[in-house]
Formats: sequence, structure tokens, C-alpha cells
Amino acid sequence: MPLVEIHGLTKEYHKGDQKIVPLRDASLAIDKGDFVSLMGASGSGKSTLLNLIAGIDRPTSGTIHVAGTDIASLTRTQLAHWRARNVGYIFQLYNLIPVLTAYENIELPLLLLPLARAERQKRVEIALAAVGLTDRADHYPRQLSGGQEQRVGIARAIVGDPAVVVADEPTGDLDAETSEQILHLLQRLNAELGTTLLMVTHDPKSASIARRQLRLDKGVLLEPEPPKVALAARGA
Amino acid sequence: MYEAFGFRLLPWDYGVRNLLRRPARSAMTLFGLTLVVVLVLVVVGFIRGLEVSLSVSGDPQVVLIHTLGAAENMENSSIPSSQAALLSASLKSVQRQQGPSGSKVVCASPELFLGTQVNIDHESEESLGLVRGITPATPLVRRNVQILQGNWPGPGEVLVGRLAATKLGTRPEELAVGKTVTFEGRTWKISGHFASTGSALEAELWCPLEDLQLAMKRQDLSLVAILLASGADLADVDEFCKERLDLELQATAESTYYASLQRHYGPVRLLAWLIVVIIAGAGIFTGMNVMYGAVTGRVRELATLQTIGFVRRAIALSLLQEGMLLAMSASLLAAAFAVIAIQGTAVRFTMGAFTLRVDSTTVLIGVGVGLLVGVLGSIPPAIRAMRLPVVEGLKAI
Repeated sequence: MPLVEIHGLTKEYHKGDQKIVPLRDASLAIDKGDFVSLMGASGSGKSTLLNLIAGIDRPTSGTIHVAGTDIASLTRTQLAHWRARNVGYIFQLYNLIPVLTAYENIELPLLLLPLARAERQKRVEIALAAVGLTDRADHYPRQLSGGQEQRVGIARAIVGDPAVVVADEPTGDLDAETSEQILHLLQRLNAELGTTLLMVTHDPKSASIARRQLRLDKGVLLEPEPPKVALAARGA
Repeated sequence: MYEAFGFRLLPWDYGVRNLLRRPARSAMTLFGLTLVVVLVLVVVGFIRGLEVSLSVSGDPQVVLIHTLGAAENMENSSIPSSQAALLSASLKSVQRQQGPSGSKVVCASPELFLGTQVNIDHESEESLGLVRGITPATPLVRRNVQILQGNWPGPGEVLVGRLAATKLGTRPEELAVGKTVTFEGRTWKISGHFASTGSALEAELWCPLEDLQLAMKRQDLSLVAILLASGADLADVDEFCKERLDLELQATAESTYYASLQRHYGPVRLLAWLIVVIIAGAGIFTGMNVMYGAVTGRVRELATLQTIGFVRRAIALSLLQEGMLLAMSASLLAAAFAVIAIQGTAVRFTMGAFTLRVDSTTVLIGVGVGLLVGVLGSIPPAIRAMRLPVVEGLKAI
């Protein structure tokens, strides 16, 4: 059974008298351990789809099952609890809490889980080591570079071992070299930890590191024929 | 640890550190809120001082006998001096004490009371003072009077109340023992100072009754204050006054007299409470403005916290915590300042003088208003933060 399964997903909203449909009748299945990139032009609906899967937005119609839960039927509070257990979110602008240190930022999602302090500490240290920032644990976001901030953001997203990690343009605010490092880090997390990743990007090069590439065009989900390289990587 | 409300709270440190995020802004808000609470404490201290002064002024065992219809203003009362002896002899309900030679001393204090212009050590400006002509029997009735310094006044001398300087609008040093004051065309030497548990009497100048009558060329009294014998009550004295219609006297319990003054000052107290409400309102808007600023500047951050999985109530509580921490700190600072700098400050008013009272009740009201300012100032911004859609919030710059 796929980890993420969406069917007939449509999102509409109104801006004045105008009806806007950023996502139209989208259906998709993502398996556990998959690394999917979602490409598309600005306004194509890729972030909308990402936010719907992450449970921070609600569809107008259609169903979304993530890790066996029909998240469209959950109340706002239930959805918050569900997100805490099942979703890791990597933001384009890192979105670290400025008054918390790197360690505390990473620990934040763990405060929502029933874990003892020692267990939290162990997990944060593992996450810091995974992103290569053990020596920056006590630094505040303002004391870190953009790349380091994004690594803290990635550590925060994976520390709770969520069912799915979503990344919204994770390299959008970084220079080329740092972007490459971040993409390799995501690739490594997927390969070594089996983290299920869904990444939104508008950059074909970034998208190419994913095992599976999807494209959105004016709210319509398209899945191009997978290139042979990607198929080989998936073991197909 | 974090799940005290049925959901996981944000770390306590988060709220505390957010206050230090913009130190200048937080410091200014703290100063503003402290000022608000100090003002509230001053006004409540004023109300409490006035209330306590008037409530302790009335001894439940003391009855004032005065001219019919002068219950509202004792200065207008005039009874012949001879009636003091008549009352002492006729009233069975008056307390009698063993005298030094074995005789019984009646606890009745004939007094002449007036408001008059007082000149301090020949200063050019005169002030309106309250003067009471008293006798050696007065302390038997005015049981709470304590001589703080000096002696009971002899001929040509005056005993000065603890708050008389405030009433006269002068410095206490000007009324030091040995100095002189002039009133009713005569100069009086200050023999000592007295206190009376914060009652209205403390604003008065006491001099021998006969000397005052001589100075004023008056033979009459304003009132006779009597101390009721144990078991007796006002009705006994009242009955006597009603039986002896020819004397045209009326008996009023001293506590009733001061209670009527409390009612007289009702509008003043109402106005003071209104000021408290207005000041608190200003404080609420100050707090609200700051917390709105805090929310507006952190829209993306608050949306991020929701994305991670913190429920809206947890975020709202964290904002409330920030407002409460500021308000609590301001309240404590204000309370400390009030206790050190405001407590005991003397205030002059028409009836005399009293001191601002920063007691536990005042502090409780002041701190309560401070916390209310914190809560009410934080709730609307917290609600706004709760209503913000996560996706919208994440797009905020």
C-alpha cells in the first residue's frame, strides 16, 4: 500500500469574485522510502499539493491518505497532532526560530512526542550528526550561514522520524555550491535512512536527484516518462 | 511537562526569550506598564487612605452630642458650656472611671471645633487649619490618641496632629515642638505631636478649651463627646436628648458621623475608581499594541510552529505568557516602588488630611489590574494569531 495516496484532489479558493483553482483533480501514489520531486512553473500548484500532503491546507474535494490516515477528514487539532507525528517540513527560508539555538530548534518537534528528555537528547544529537552540525548545537540561527541554517531545518524535519518529509524549494535561497550540498544531503538521507521525501522545486537539476519526478502544469499533475537513469536508481 | 492543558505547550523559554528579542521595545513597554500600575496604585492608595482614615475615625463606643440638625457639620453646632456638666451628671450610660482621689471621673469631652486660618511662625500666607479645644478629659474619650513627642498642651500651648502640617500645606519641620503658630488672634506654642491610628483627628491642632474660648470670645461648645459605658448604647443617649427637648440636642454615634462623611466623599471615590478604569484601559491598549506588534512581526514563525504540530491554543498561550510576564514584572516593580516611595505620603483634603495607603489590599488591586492589563492586552493579538491560516502565514515576509 502506498505511503501517500491522493485521489481526485482539487483545491479552489476565491480572490474577490475570481475563482482560482491551483490544483485540479490530482491523483498520486508515493511509496514508502521514495524520493519524489515536484516541478512546475510559478503558480502551477506544486506548493499547494505539497501543503495538502503535509496537512497544513485542506482540499476542496478529493481524498488524501498519508500513512493510512484520511487527513482530509481530521479536525484542525487532530491534524496538528497528526503533523507532529507524521510530517517533517523543510522550508525554503529555513524558518528557524530565532530565539532558540540549533539544538533547541531541532528538539522542537520532539516536544510534541511522548519522549523522555534523554531520548530527545539522543535523537537531536543523531540528527545534528546526520547533517554535520554537531559543533554548532549551541549556535543561534543568526550565528549560522544559510547552508547551515538549512541543515538545521533538515535535522528538525527528520528528527522525529516522520512518515514523510516535504521540502518546499529547499535550495531556493542558497548559492549553487551550498544547494548541491543540501541536495546531496537529502539524497543521502533518503538512501541511508529510507526517509520518504517529496520535494518541490522549479529547478530541473535539483529535481533530477529525485528517484521520481512529477510535473504540475496549471494545476494538473503530469508524470513524465521516467528517464532510464532514474529507473535504474529505483531498481526497476 | 509541557502538557498541562491537554495539549503540548511551547517551551517556557520561548516566551521569555521573545521578550528579550527586542530589548528596547520590551523595556519601553515594561516602563509604560509599570507607570500604569504605579498610577493605579496611587489612586487606589488614595481611595484606601481616605476610606481607612474615615473608618478608623469613628469609635463605636463614642457618641457625639451636638445641636439639633448639626450632624452633618459639627462646626455649625453650638451648645452652652453649662450643658456639658448637665450631660455628665444626667447621662447614666456614660463610662465612669476611678479618679486619683477615689472619685469617679466621667468620660465626657466637651470640645470646641472649628476650621480657622492658621499662620505658621508669622509666615505671610495663612492656611485653613482644623482646631479643637480640648480638656484633660479628652484622652478618656479619644482613646486612640498617643502623644508621639512633647507634652499635653498647657495654657497658651497647642498639641499638633501628625498630619496637621499636610493639612496646613507646610513642612513638618515648621510645626516642630517649641515653634509657634497663630490663630484666632493669639500665638500658641507647640507643646507636642500626637497620632490617632490614622484617624481624621491627626490633621488637627488641639489647644486647651478655655484658652480657645477666650481667644474666640465664645462661651459655647461645639459638642460633647462621651464614651459609652459597657452595655450601653446610642439609644440611651438618644432617649435623653429626645426627652429634654428644651436642650435642643441630638446624639450621633461617632462611627455614623464618619460614615456619613464617607458617603459625602462617595463621588470623589467614584471618580477615583473611574480614573483607575481609564488608566487600566490605557494600559490595555499599550499592551495590545505591543503584542499586536509581536504577532505581526512573527507571522511566519507562528505559522512554522503550527506546521511543526503545535496547536493554535499552545501558540496563543505562549503569546499570553509573554504579555503576562511583562505585566507581572511591571506590577512587581510598581508595587515595590509604591511601597517604598508612595506609602505614607500625606494628602490634604477639605476634611483634614490622610496618608496614601499602599497596604496588601492596594497592592492586590494594583497587581490585579496589572495582570488584567497583561491578559486583556494579549488576548486580541493571540486570537489574531490563532485565526491566521498556516499557509498564509508561511508566505509572510
